[in-house]
Amino acid sequence: MADHEGKKILVIQTHGVETPTRTYSPLFYAMAAAAMEMEVMVWFTMNGTNQLKKGEAEKVQLDKTSDVTLKTMLKMAMESDVKLRVCQQSLELWSMKKEDLIEGVEILGATSIIDLALSYDHTMYF
Amino acid sequence: MEHEKINECVIMKDLYYSVEDNTWIRVNEDGSVTVGMTDIAQNLAGPILHAKAKSAGTDRKKGKPIATVESGKWVGPVKSPISGVITEVNEKLVGDAQLINRSPYRDGWVVKMKPESLEAELKELVTGDNAVAAYKTKIEHDNIKACTHIEGSDTYE
Repeated sequence: MADHEGKKILVIQTHGVETPTRTYSPLFYAMAAAAMEMEVMVWFTMNGTNQLKKGEAEKVQLDKTSDVTLKTMLKMAMESDVKLRVCQQSLELWSMKKEDLIEGVEILGATSIIDLALSYDHTMYF
Repeated sequence: MEHEKINECVIMKDLYYSVEDNTWIRVNEDGSVTVGMTDIAQNLAGPILHAKAKSAGTDRKKGKPIATVESGKWVGPVKSPISGVITEVNEKLVGDAQLINRSPYRDGWVVKMKPESLEAELKELVTGDNAVAAYKTKIEHDNIKACTHIEGSDTYE
């Protein structure tokens, strides 16, 4: 396995709970990168924001035979030291406030995402 | 070899375990150690699709990844239970990662290492009856379901 320790990956997630099949993979890639000792951030914007609303991710379950939900994936990502960040402007799009967000998510503005995109080694866009 | 089953999960009593990270080491006669994932770890991961170890020669501190493992439902690191240098990688896992599922304590080992300070670090791991007791607590605390074993798995009777 090549050594990528310390590299930085930014994952941008624009898909929300209304498209379940587009929700798991970006988190899976993020966890893979974290397992490879990279610094990883998932940035939720546009529809992706609604994944982070309390009570929503629990309803998304791709495999009905498994007890893994989107909430499980988000929790596993955070436990893997993947940072979850959400777009301030997108919160307003969904009439969400800070207290509507699941625990562990931080809010950043649009200029921050531009800074991050320029400073990270690679951006994956979903 | 002496073992115990807790909720169908096998614990080998001669190995040293990092219970938190679900890894084990075997101290070999030549002073090297063999490192692998536990039966509980393979059960939690499900059928493993890929296992990629760090290259031989890589220096690892305790807790740093020696490999990444992915299944259909999980991806994560195998954290080193000790500090040392990787001396050998189990090449069989490249084409057959489910060897970890079938034989977590024998053929499915992940790497061999030359330990840096084994005597001191062994004290931080658990073995024998202490390991069994620690895993009983963990299985209850984490509500871990009974271990399942895919076709062709090692038998421990």
